[in-house]
Amino acid sequence: MTKQRTRKTGLVLLLLVWLAVAFYGYQQVNDEQTTLKTITLGYQKADPFDIARQRGVLAKKMKAKGYKIVWKQFQDGAAELQALKSGSIDYARIGDTPPVVNLAAGASFVYIAAGSTKAAGSGILVKKNSTIKSIKDLKGKRVAYTKGTSSNYLILSALKKAGMSASDIKWVNLDNAAASVAFNKGKVDAWATWDPMTSTAELTQNAKLLVTGENGVSSNRDYVLSTASFAKNNEEVSALLVKYLSADMTWANKHSTQLVKMLSDSLNLSTKIVKRMVARRSFSMTAINQTVIKEEQDIADLFYEAGLIKKKLTIKDAVAYTSD
Amino acid sequence: MDSSIPSNKTAIKIKAPKKRHLTIGWSQLLPWVIPVSVVVIWQAASTFGILASSTLPSPLAVFQDTVTLVQNGTLQKNISISLYRATVGFLIGGAFGFFFGVLNGVSRFSRSLFDSSIQMLRNIPHLSLIPLIIIAIGIDESAKISLVAIGVMFPIYINTLHGIQSVDPDLLEMGQSYGLSKRELFSKIIFPSALPTILMGVRYALGVMWTTLIVAETIASDSGIGYMSTNAEDFMDMKTIIVCIVIYALLGKLSDLIAKNIESIVLAWRDVKEVKSHD
Repeated sequence: MTKQRTRKTGLVLLLLVWLAVAFYGYQQVNDEQTTLKTITLGYQKADPFDIARQRGVLAKKMKAKGYKIVWKQFQDGAAELQALKSGSIDYARIGDTPPVVNLAAGASFVYIAAGSTKAAGSGILVKKNSTIKSIKDLKGKRVAYTKGTSSNYLILSALKKAGMSASDIKWVNLDNAAASVAFNKGKVDAWATWDPMTSTAELTQNAKLLVTGENGVSSNRDYVLSTASFAKNNEEVSALLVKYLSADMTWANKHSTQLVKMLSDSLNLSTKIVKRMVARRSFSMTAINQTVIKEEQDIADLFYEAGLIKKKLTIKDAVAYTSD
Repeated sequence: MDSSIPSNKTAIKIKAPKKRHLTIGWSQLLPWVIPVSVVVIWQAASTFGILASSTLPSPLAVFQDTVTLVQNGTLQKNISISLYRATVGFLIGGAFGFFFGVLNGVSRFSRSLFDSSIQMLRNIPHLSLIPLIIIAIGIDESAKISLVAIGVMFPIYINTLHGIQSVDPDLLEMGQSYGLSKRELFSKIIFPSALPTILMGVRYALGVMWTTLIVAETIASDSGIGYMSTNAEDFMDMKTIIVCIVIYALLGKLSDLIAKNIESIVLAWRDVKEVKSHD
């Protein structure tokens, strides 16, 4: 039957194309082998690691020292720390709150380095025409946040500073994508989040920051974490990493035009939004010092008080090497 | 297609082909009526300002976004990588599913040993397996492929098992009385009569393959369609989200087309009507 034959030829052709495309995909994900010692770094979009990755200098310098850098991108901190725990990555760039939550859950992480404060870009958003004029007005209102992240701490800390308690507001736990929609549609009255979500909301969703992380509410720094055992055996790698990251961050401060383009490409956001985000922060990466230990200790203490973590933590025990 | 059924006994021979041509035209167009009218209405609503472009971009804007994505190469790259993960995952998962389906179908011992464990695993949401997969397998390609394989395994397993278990006992008895060996019984009777059900499992598994892949591509990923859409979701990039949805739909349709064709080729020996009743 000729119909059956054309059907067969068509199917075989279709399958061949399918396999060819799949093979093309296979070639793209399999990169070449190397004899260098591989260091795997976990990052999320537009973070200091991502800047270093896109600039490419760090990988080159590490290669000169005999290390091959492999970058792994993560969608969220939970998966990233899971990968760090299981040894799939060696270092993770993460926010200020997930380390506390994980340390309390028994993970043997250590802090390697800390970034500069992002306090001005993190905060609680409300609509411009909202009746909420001060943090006191949040009483009884629905506030979107993401549990176990810096937005969780930011609200707690802001409430505490205003003399209010955690039960004064209605907590709505949503991830950023869902929170953005809920906030836009007025399903929540306020939304605690960080850049670039805050800049995006301010410029495209008719939102303003009711309260920011400034004035000691929440510094919301970046941190570089590793596992205790890896850090102990790789002191040299850690030192090199901090040194080169620090150089990348100095570059980022000096080349804001290039940086804005780099970040807006990688985030797929307009340069206007990214400019706003870059303008209200600076970049740095330094070894852990007493200031950041105290900040992390504050997070741990407040989370313990609020019953979010079950263990009292001493942050300075989870620091591999300090600068002071 | 019912084109071969003469609708009018008295129709003269010359007229018949014309009529046939018409019916084929209709039956081929009909499936596209809903998708095309959705796009047309959607475009109209956007053009006349009923639908704000900030809520939902117009089909034209989505098309322009597709063109940009093709021009900078991201779309081709992501599709090919997804296709690779899906294919390898499907082959591995399908092989396991088929193996256990056959084994448990023919051996009572292995069925009591494995079946309830497999049934327990089957209903675990894939999303909740991610932490376990990261711990057990890591975050590389193998992790994504394993998740797809796990997803694909169950429909193939269940259909293979069901197909083998529901083989007509009379046929089996007849085969035995003809003195067929165990191997011949399997290849001549059990497998052919289980095949339609197995192929149905393949069709279903092809659907599961794509849905699992989306979940898999959120594990430490910087490529693939799943990554593209979750990434777009994070920043509410509606145009790219819609591009991804359309691609899913097309890939799903494509795999279904392949499965359907395999079915009709492999099952050509069966009566047409019977195939339909199993569809």
